[in-house]
Amino acid sequence: MSEPREITLTIDGREVSATEGEMLHDAARKGDVEIPVFCYEPKLGEPVGACRMCLVEIEGIPKLQTSCSTPVREGMVVHTRTEQVKHAQSAVVEFLLVNHPLDCPVCDKGGECPLQDITQGWGPGKSRVIDEKRHFPKPVELSPLVAIDRERCILCYRCVRFSQEVSEDAELQLLERGDRTFVGTYDDRPYVAPFHGNITELCPVGALTNYTYRFRARPWDIEQAGSVCTLCPSQCNVSFTVRDEKVKRVLGRDNAEVDDGWLCDRGRYGFEMFADESRVDGPRLKGGAATTWEQAIETAALGLLRAGEGKVAAIVGDASNEEAFLVQGLLREALGSPHVDSRPSRGAGREALVRLAQPALAAKVSDIDDADTILVLGTDPLHSSPILDLRIRKAIRRNGARLAVATERPTALDGGAEAIARYAPGEGTHFVSELAAALGGTENVAAPLAESLREAGKVVVVWGERVARDGGGAEALLELAAALGDGAGLLEVPDFANARGLREAGCLPDAGPGLAPTKSASTGIPAANAPLVGKSTEEIRAGLESGEIESLLLFGVDPLRDFPDTPAWEAALTACEHLVVFSMHKTATTAKADVVLPLETHAEKDGTVTHPDGRLQRVRPSASRPGDIRPNIQVLAELSATLGHDTGIDSQPSAFAALRAAVPFYADIDESAIGGRGVRWQDTPAAAAPSAAADVGSPSERFAHEANGPSGDSNPTPQRRSASEEGLPAAAGSLTLGTYRDLWAGPITELNPPLRFLTPRQRLELSPVDAEKLDLKTGDRVRVGQNGSAVEATVQIKERVSEGVCFLAEGVSIGNANALLNGGPVQVEITKLSEARA
Amino acid sequence: MAHGLETRVLLEHAEDPGLRTLDGYKGYGGYATLEKAYREMEQDEVLKELEDSGLRGRGGAGFSMGKKASFLPRGEMAKYLCCNADESEPGAFKDRELMQRNPHQLIEGIAIAALAADAGHAFIFIRGEYDLQADILDAAVAEAYEAGYLGENILGTHRDLELVVHRGAGAYICGEETALLDALEGKRGNPRLKPPFPAVQGLYGGPTLINNVETLSNVPRIVANGAEWFKGFGTEQSPGTKVVSISGGVRRPGNYEVELGVPTRELIYGLAGGPEPGHEVKAFYPGGSSSPVLTAEEGMDLPYSFEAMAEAGSMLGSGSIIVADDRVSIPHMALRTARFYHHESCGKCTPCREGTNWTVKMLERVVRGEATPMDLDIISSVQENIMGHCLCVLGDSMAMPVSAMVRKFRPEFEQVIAGAAETLDPHLVVQGPPETLGASI
Repeated sequence: MSEPREITLTIDGREVSATEGEMLHDAARKGDVEIPVFCYEPKLGEPVGACRMCLVEIEGIPKLQTSCSTPVREGMVVHTRTEQVKHAQSAVVEFLLVNHPLDCPVCDKGGECPLQDITQGWGPGKSRVIDEKRHFPKPVELSPLVAIDRERCILCYRCVRFSQEVSEDAELQLLERGDRTFVGTYDDRPYVAPFHGNITELCPVGALTNYTYRFRARPWDIEQAGSVCTLCPSQCNVSFTVRDEKVKRVLGRDNAEVDDGWLCDRGRYGFEMFADESRVDGPRLKGGAATTWEQAIETAALGLLRAGEGKVAAIVGDASNEEAFLVQGLLREALGSPHVDSRPSRGAGREALVRLAQPALAAKVSDIDDADTILVLGTDPLHSSPILDLRIRKAIRRNGARLAVATERPTALDGGAEAIARYAPGEGTHFVSELAAALGGTENVAAPLAESLREAGKVVVVWGERVARDGGGAEALLELAAALGDGAGLLEVPDFANARGLREAGCLPDAGPGLAPTKSASTGIPAANAPLVGKSTEEIRAGLESGEIESLLLFGVDPLRDFPDTPAWEAALTACEHLVVFSMHKTATTAKADVVLPLETHAEKDGTVTHPDGRLQRVRPSASRPGDIRPNIQVLAELSATLGHDTGIDSQPSAFAALRAAVPFYADIDESAIGGRGVRWQDTPAAAAPSAAADVGSPSERFAHEANGPSGDSNPTPQRRSASEEGLPAAAGSLTLGTYRDLWAGPITELNPPLRFLTPRQRLELSPVDAEKLDLKTGDRVRVGQNGSAVEATVQIKERVSEGVCFLAEGVSIGNANALLNGGPVQVEITKLSEARA
Repeated sequence: MAHGLETRVLLEHAEDPGLRTLDGYKGYGGYATLEKAYREMEQDEVLKELEDSGLRGRGGAGFSMGKKASFLPRGEMAKYLCCNADESEPGAFKDRELMQRNPHQLIEGIAIAALAADAGHAFIFIRGEYDLQADILDAAVAEAYEAGYLGENILGTHRDLELVVHRGAGAYICGEETALLDALEGKRGNPRLKPPFPAVQGLYGGPTLINNVETLSNVPRIVANGAEWFKGFGTEQSPGTKVVSISGGVRRPGNYEVELGVPTRELIYGLAGGPEPGHEVKAFYPGGSSSPVLTAEEGMDLPYSFEAMAEAGSMLGSGSIIVADDRVSIPHMALRTARFYHHESCGKCTPCREGTNWTVKMLERVVRGEATPMDLDIISSVQENIMGHCLCVLGDSMAMPVSAMVRKFRPEFEQVIAGAAETLDPHLVVQGPPETLGASI
């Protein structure tokens, strides 16, 4: 493809530079000429030319042309303000108002309505319509979250195009025809899809409104505050609509490098939990008793100090880079303990992480757009980083990118995949190394998938953190990247929203800030002779049970819900002598705490986060902190000082300065570099830092252990090794359990009343073959047991689930699969409890 | 028996019910041209014959068929031919007769045109209401497959053509060529943005030639007898014969095949018998309900050709004359016309969707006597605002005739408004509360 040519055209007598082939509307905008539009929205794909608002005059063409669908050419002469054009545009506005109710004073869109603005700017000013307008029952529920007022609808097609061509749920349709046309769904079913809230933002009139925002504010009551959503690793750019210092609405803040202008419904509607009654709104002591900050910090500090040398640990989850940096500093420097982690169980070692962080291997989100091939490995973006699901769909739909999927569980993207491989739960690492070998020509289980990746051009590998959780996983990924060639880039989908930032800020047992070896960090007193490498999360858990760890600080994590092996965590937290929990809400974990300290939400805190592709973005305080909540950074500073280590770091600027000083590859990033759009550290001069800090062997050395695996295995099924070969008992009626994090599992649905209807119930997914063997059908209730623990679930037979495996969701409130996990693949026994109701 | 003014080419032997069968058609020399074309002619030869003949599309736009076929890019990609048999314009019923009486002529024409377009797949998109005609086509297509005129390796020439008869679901808009393509692809039948034109990117994204039934029915004879023979009929700019549907206030409504360029008066009075005794022609649509009406004074003495009708400010369109005699109320005719387009507007683009709706409401007020002369100005202005601003031609199809009627018969409109109290048509009065749409939901 040849490079697009820069051309010059004339719009309203002014010369405008544009790229050949871009739409006239966009070119005009570059020349500061605004052409009004309703249906045109480049994010939705090809223009449809339906609203006719953007008619302009082009010399040499007798009829007026829609500027949204006319590509610009060199020397084109365009007029947008001639009498003919004004007449046509005014006519279109008049037509739109023939059926549009003039209820602006009671319409939620009033004041921020494109139809109002365009009517003022281009409309006739007077109405000649005295006839009855069309009538519909209104408003009606399009979904439990979105109301539709069909009388206000101007049939611009935007919402329907979103549903059909962006989220591809195809639920929204235009029904009937002519001026009787209306937007609806098949059989008037509710439009329930994970991205459907975007239609409320696309709607250029007040036809689609959020139930969460209807009649809550007028545009002159509100302020917009730009921030970043930290509910998942996508870190979409958001704008909080704030009234009286409270968040009333969440809007997208288009960032093509991050979210492409879309939000998922988690991010859009997940704000009412900021004010949920379960919010920890001040410091609490054991049993939930309110206390003063002084008392809380002193109690926390005393407990932490009381633990023996090196017997304090910390696990960090929902935290900004600054908070993570301060927590690891608190542990390493104030308490002299190396036990800090930021992963739900365990993960790759420092050296592998350093190699994975090489800028040359990094794919950024927008690389998906022009990838030739996308490999989704061990993650389902829809559940783990929803906005990437849309991004991948876009690449397939608009650019013809090829998709290959290799996962344990069927994914939402399977339908668009050219090649799909399924491997058994826990076999991710093994599969990746097999895939790398297969790309090198070895005949093995991954060969069919490898075939689809040959001559794949520019490949983006979207991989789930769990693929690299076990020994050799990260190394296998590096092998894979090498085997895919120079064009390949890696993009991680981690378990925690700011996982990359937490690791780079030093929340790893074997790496300090900047992924540096821990020796440079552990210079603090009182324990200069503490071990250099600390314990991982699951080792901390074991340490609590064995007494090796006595005190634990949890920052934004809820092990009893989110970490594998709930029974063991229950025992560990019970055994813990002193538990300090920073938490946003009351949880089973906070109930066990000696001190509970409140956390700020992403609408309240000030700090930076690091996107999985290395982009540092700024979370800005937008709303007030309820109750007696103090800035997290300030609390950490006071706690550190009370522990006898006064860092003087008590604000975001000072914390960020300290972070930059400690992380060499953040050195060039300051507040202005981050700006409103963020900056990838790989794009700054200091990017060479992590590889310089690397002290790692060559890939071949790292792969010495690979010889262990029986390569050359020609068994075509993805479950290369059956569980019984692994030494697990494979009794009749038992299946290998795989687990996944459901998009809607957890506090997001429980604490946001508008989203409560989406609360997932535990389902046991299994293949039709296994269901027949076990005499189960969809809807049956079963008990799924393993080693004394059991959860109940409803059977869901799924065609695409492999034989011999079954799946349960993690993090659901009833029947959480984490209760059954013990760190590796487990066999579960399935017992039928009751038949499905007919 | 053919009237002396008639020139039966397409309708030759139409009175023979046996013509419908393969044997009957072959008995009159049918499929000989297909054999000749498939065995002896190259794509360019067929194309040249069609271009040279000057055959203009009989569906309404009157664009040169050969030229349109020549726009299709050459290459290995899949190309398509679509026969537009969605004849839905009020006043037009010529394709119905051509398909019903002589289906094989159309099939042969499609097969030869497919050669010119290098199309491997062809579709006849027939309106769902033409049930009988679709059944006849289905039977004829089956016969043609059986005889080896369709399918793989036609007549051993290694040329293939699959032909499918597809019944539409009953929407006027699906006769618009790009809406037809969407409907054929299984989508909502809405017009597409042009460019790209179907010749470049049509059905399933492939180059597509779309022609009307009558246009394609002309193809076998042109290829058989040559372009010069065809140009022997009609006028220089409107060569050939035309099947004209005449309806409305005439004594012998029906289809008449004539050479283009015959006097319009001969068509209306000579062939169709003119109005009932004692009545005069007041006005007529020369080319279906979407053509601007001509008064008797304006149009009666014009030759019936593409160029003469265009010069008179109207159009020949699909060649369907609807006659209004002196008993017809023009405002009511305008309302009836507007209602049709309002009902059939797809709703995709604003001027058509809202303009047809608004026009109907205003004309309803006119005939109810609830309008003022100022409303006539607004009606005219709204038609102006529709014309040239729509995504496809449906909006203009209402705006052109309505605007012509208000302009040419304004005193009658004013009279109707004034006299509405006495002449109130109870069927047109909107009573009770306004209708609520989608109320079942």
